Amino acid sequence: MLKCKALSKKFEHILFDNLDIFLEPGEILAIIGPSGCGKTTLLRCICGLEELDSGYIELNGEEITNLKVEERGIGMIFQKPVLYPHLSVSGNLALASKNKHSEALTEVGLSGFEERSVHKLSGGEGQRVALARALLANPKVLLLDEPFSALDNKLSLKLISDVRKLLKKRNCPSILVTHNYKEAELFSDRIIDISLIEN
Amino acid sequence: MKNIGSFIAVFLYSGLIFIPLFLALNRLIMVTGFYPSIWFNSLENNYISQDILQFTLFQAIFSTIVTLMIGIPIAWMLGRYRWPLESLIRTVLTLPFVIPSIIAAMGILTIIGPHGINIRADEDTWWWTLIIAHAWFNMALVIRFCEPILTTLDPSLEEQLRLLPNGQTRISRFRYLWAPLLVPSITAAACMTFVFSFTSFALVRWITVGNESLESMMATISSSAGIEGYMEFTSEMVLGASIIQFLILLISLWITSIIQRNRKSKIPQVNTKFVKTKNSMGWLIIVPALIFALLPIISVFLGSFRIREPVENEIIFRWSFDAWVVAWRGSNSFPPLTDALINSIGYAIITLCVSLPIGFSLASTISKLEENHKFLSQVLDVFTMLPFALSAAMVGLGVLLGIIKLDIGFLHNFWPLPALAHIMLTVPFVVRIFLPAIRSLDPMYDENAKVLGLKPWKRFFSVKLPLLKSSLIISTIFTLAMSLGEFGASFVVARNSDWVTLPLLIDSWRSKPMKDPFTGPASNVVATVLMLITIILFLFAERYRTNKEGGMF
Amino acid sequence: MYKEIKKSVKKRIKESIVIGLFLMMSLSGCISEDESKELVIATYDIYGLSEEMIEEFENQTGISVSMIKLDDAGSVLDYLIKNKGTNDIDLAIGLDNTYLSTAIQQGVLTNHTASNLGEISQVALGPYNGQLAVPFDMGYVCLNYDNNLVDGKNMSVPTSLWDLTEEEWRGKVVIPSPQTSSPGRAFMLATMDYFTSETDRSDTSQFESWWSAMKNNDVIITSGWTEAYEMYYSGGYGETTEGYIGSAHITVSYCHSPGVEAWYSGSNITKSSSLDIPMASFFQVEYISSVMGGDVESSALFIEYLLSEEVNSKMPEQNQMYSVLEGNDLPETSGYLFHSIIPEQPSNLSMSEIGDNIESWLQLWNSAMI
Repeated sequence: MLKCKALSKKFEHILFDNLDIFLEPGEILAIIGPSGCGKTTLLRCICGLEELDSGYIELNGEEITNLKVEERGIGMIFQKPVLYPHLSVSGNLALASKNKHSEALTEVGLSGFEERSVHKLSGGEGQRVALARALLANPKVLLLDEPFSALDNKLSLKLISDVRKLLKKRNCPSILVTHNYKEAELFSDRIIDISLIEN
Repeated sequence: MKNIGSFIAVFLYSGLIFIPLFLALNRLIMVTGFYPSIWFNSLENNYISQDILQFTLFQAIFSTIVTLMIGIPIAWMLGRYRWPLESLIRTVLTLPFVIPSIIAAMGILTIIGPHGINIRADEDTWWWTLIIAHAWFNMALVIRFCEPILTTLDPSLEEQLRLLPNGQTRISRFRYLWAPLLVPSITAAACMTFVFSFTSFALVRWITVGNESLESMMATISSSAGIEGYMEFTSEMVLGASIIQFLILLISLWITSIIQRNRKSKIPQVNTKFVKTKNSMGWLIIVPALIFALLPIISVFLGSFRIREPVENEIIFRWSFDAWVVAWRGSNSFPPLTDALINSIGYAIITLCVSLPIGFSLASTISKLEENHKFLSQVLDVFTMLPFALSAAMVGLGVLLGIIKLDIGFLHNFWPLPALAHIMLTVPFVVRIFLPAIRSLDPMYDENAKVLGLKPWKRFFSVKLPLLKSSLIISTIFTLAMSLGEFGASFVVARNSDWVTLPLLIDSWRSKPMKDPFTGPASNVVATVLMLITIILFLFAERYRTNKEGGMF
Repeated sequence: MYKEIKKSVKKRIKESIVIGLFLMMSLSGCISEDESKELVIATYDIYGLSEEMIEEFENQTGISVSMIKLDDAGSVLDYLIKNKGTNDIDLAIGLDNTYLSTAIQQGVLTNHTASNLGEISQVALGPYNGQLAVPFDMGYVCLNYDNNLVDGKNMSVPTSLWDLTEEEWRGKVVIPSPQTSSPGRAFMLATMDYFTSETDRSDTSQFESWWSAMKNNDVIITSGWTEAYEMYYSGGYGETTEGYIGSAHITVSYCHSPGVEAWYSGSNITKSSSLDIPMASFFQVEYISSVMGGDVESSALFIEYLLSEEVNSKMPEQNQMYSVLEGNDLPETSGYLFHSIIPEQPSNLSMSEIGDNIESWLQLWNSAMI
């Protein structure tokens, strides 16, 4: 259960002001809005990569507003998969957890990829590895920052449904931000249009 | 508050580098009084230092011109054409730059001496030998600075120019395309060559016996500087020389940094393999260049086995390991080679252990500050570059007059002290090596590690350090090599002690009268040992060199 | 906020501990010296102090010797002055009578307690006869010339210093600098006496004009004796060594250097001769001294050892200088003695006079040369 109250962030102009977001256990929420409206910043604030100007975040009954990123228990998938070039697929997974690599890879449909070099992965495979790695860390909430936007249409549709299934199976509450309404509709249980709230 | 680590790094850096210099300056001024005009005039008013500034300046300018004349054709051939064993050729051609200058001096002496090609007969040959020695030493700079543009420039730029009225001849294409593109790199290389030639010590000391540079003069008179009531003119000369030298170096470095900054404009680049073509005539340049690069190195090695037989009225040579035995065993005047080796390695390791963390933290701090405190980061950036304008002798004088004098009873016997000079000289280089790497490090890597819940130390050791591996290895090797081969500062510091390092041992063997047939060969033995270590380190570093921007490293 | 600050402090502390550890490693160093008796000697590269000789001393006394090798006598003095008060140095070897008075004025020496010394000749005790320094070798500094070329036919043999300012000698005289070399300094002192003895030093104009004339005649000034003798002088062994130039046919060396050449050749051959111009040579004595604050007892043992008949009589062969002991002379082997001369009339400057004036004389020399 994630509660975000009165979140505000200004960066040259106001990105969001007095914004409330609630996330039920297991719920998948999509936040949509045009590029540059502050969706990414919102996610970065929730997971702690950026500081809020003001606001209050509570996760499972505990205030996390001032906790450091790595102590919040929030996972995040970035727009482009961030895979460490000096490590293999398995080495990348090991950053999250020492074991259960093959199960995690099987879950995302990449069984047997352990020893692959990350340079040899396609965009979709890369996102799947990033997802497997994020889930291995057992996040209490998973944030997804337009992870499907860099992929071509067919591939992204497949990935969207795969990820949704997986998140539902694990009952992992998630927030997806995207500018693509169709993507949001396919992926989420509920949609917030951030641009409407602002205005 | 968040930046205690940065504060510590800046604090340590200021302490390690500026306190010795400040104290030394303070001591010198205490001796001479604050009369800058007297300091500057002292250079012309003393026989020892008369005309030295002119000599230093002229030889540095000449060296720079000759270095460019030799370096540019080589860089062009290497950059524009395809060669078998290309990386080996490049390694050999850039090797001289990392060879300690005292070794270069030994090698060149052996070549031009009467038992080599015998041309070291008068002051003109000294002069030209010095200039060519500087070219040997610095041609790698020209190659390093120019090659990246040469190897990656999109050929379509030249192809397009060919079809335009102003690009139909080679000369016009050079004038309208290559010259404007290469001028910044060439100027940067020229400035650095000028700086290195201006502060040249070992080569001046050994090749031009009758002339001194500001640097070698300061080192020579350092033993009597900073003492009240005793040969005070030497303190005046040191002050005058070091201030002039500092300003000249500062200006050269400032020009270099302006050029480097302006060079950031993007040039269309393509993969090397599309650029390079074959050129069989190019061997006419590459082969002599390889010989030029290798000759001093080989002659040092061979010179260590070639012993002069003292036979009357005739000079006979024999080949043997005797000089190795002599140098290895040492004598009362000369510590055994192993002593110097152990000291040198010890100092190199201490230097590494201090310079690397400080240099790394400074580079991280500069890059961190760039986000929100642009001005502060620039200040720190310049601050970490200032020591480049300090020569080895000046740093040595800083340690000698600033630090040893603090508690002479203790520090005089303090074995690790010479490493302080090496730290002062290497930290700025470490910062320069790390800074571009840290700047280009995608912050996403760290952010992603954070959202995976990795603790700071884990992020540092399993993510950040491995990603910076090549800079880490290059700066490690550079620091080790620089410390092992450091001569000027050690010369000044160690003259006040009995610490010996490999370069100092080379120097003292060579200082022995030539009557002893082992004088030359034994110095070559020590030089060979140091050279082999340096070459091994360099070959190792080459495997990790990824700098596509060009530059010294 | 408080929590965050505390955490980040923790993190930074961790980082700084790492740096601190490195620093400690570097600063703690390895200074654990064994406590057996050690004699620290500041000296320059004196060949008289051979390895066998030092080992012999160590075996006899159980004292281990540590030598600090400096460039020349001047650097030894610089070193003593610079390290005044460290009590680190026990013994200084190699200060000569051109430096000794400065060393005494600077208070870096102390009375020696050596008692069991061989009989030192009165000649050696001439410049200084006190407790602060004991002579251990000596010799006369004078001009040497290449007698193959300076034979009265190709080039005339100079009979006065002024001859060297003639066109014939343009660029053919090499002199080590009095500012950085002790033979150079000795020779400059000789010229001071040569040109000013008649006026009791009140008129130094001749001294200045001679040196200026030498400068105008392209005299070659080198930083040390070695460069002058090995590289520029055509009459010495330099021609068999690397870096030989040989453009000068007269240089400053010792009056017995031709003898050393002959002896070194092994067959009485030399083409170098000493030039005995009255007042133009300088009697140089090298001293061994206990250093203020050092271990006087151990240094006395070394002084006694160096002045023993057994060791000191070897000076001519080991160190190419005269022994200071009564009754010792250069060996006759291979013409060593034959080619060595004792100047008829060396210059005559007292050590105290040197001490009082050396800095101003060097300044005079300097201004004559620029």
